[in-house]
Amino acid sequence: MNLTAERSLEIITEQIERSRRAVSKDTGQSLFVSGLCTMGMAVIVAIVNIIAGNNGFMPIGHLLWIILPLIIWLIMRRLNKDHAHAPVDIVSSLVGKTWWTFAVFTLGFFFLGNIWNFIMSRLCTPSEYVMNNIHISTYVILLMAMAVSIMGHILKKKWLVWFGIIGGLLIAIGDRADIIAWFLGRLCTFKTVGMWFYIKSCPTIFLFALVGLTLPGWILKREK
Amino acid sequence: MFQPLDPLLHAELRLAVMSLLISADEAEFPYIKEQTGATAGNLSVQIDKLSAAGYIEVEKTFKGKRPCTICRITDKGRQAFEAYVEALKSYLQIKNK
Repeated sequence: MNLTAERSLEIITEQIERSRRAVSKDTGQSLFVSGLCTMGMAVIVAIVNIIAGNNGFMPIGHLLWIILPLIIWLIMRRLNKDHAHAPVDIVSSLVGKTWWTFAVFTLGFFFLGNIWNFIMSRLCTPSEYVMNNIHISTYVILLMAMAVSIMGHILKKKWLVWFGIIGGLLIAIGDRADIIAWFLGRLCTFKTVGMWFYIKSCPTIFLFALVGLTLPGWILKREK
Repeated sequence: MFQPLDPLLHAELRLAVMSLLISADEAEFPYIKEQTGATAGNLSVQIDKLSAAGYIEVEKTFKGKRPCTICRITDKGRQAFEAYVEALKSYLQIKNK
């Protein structure tokens, strides 16, 4: 029993700090991997959509988003296989729940929105369809911006909060108003504008995944 | 006056284990081993002592095909840790006076 009060306090502080660092690193790893996978998937979806579009098919590449959570889960499982898994604390739990909620809402809305659009495309005339279809990408951008912003609050990173708010609002309005398509229409051929419509949500998702997942994940991983 | 220090917590490794578990809901045995730097044998003995006192719960399960030991702090353990920290404060306050 030759443990002094100071040494006891030192052990408690040291272990709590070690635990906080380990959890933070683990959360960073998850965000980093999720970000890289999302960015990679955005590139693949864009390529598939361009190929499908050039061959007269609908932009079917967007269906690949459904397997993204599975890919992330498999990679994380593989990475965590050989090392001790850090416990879940309040920060990592809130970050995880934020992205889980985002994934459920996005995939659910994506699925139901596409069914709605499919039915409308069969029932309505083209002019009615323009009024009745759901712009899925706009809502996905807003949901993603909300998730990024909430995560900024949880991780106490103000730049992330403001990136979510400003970036999300600007890009969602730009997406809904088809500003880039308008510019492309003035500068490029009709085919290029058509191609933009096949991939238009991919660059946005790529950018949000880079700033909202990969970058904070990398920062958390490197935090001392 | 000095408050008595819980002898079960007043040992380096057991205190380190309890400090780790206090901020997390649960932790796996390899994680605790990694963070405390203890040997598996010594850690097992200390975990058994904490478990016998009812300070932690030990669940033996499987992660895929591999056996996995999960440790959880109990309410009794949380109370004991809080009492230990309070007692520690009294020692430090008297020393600082």
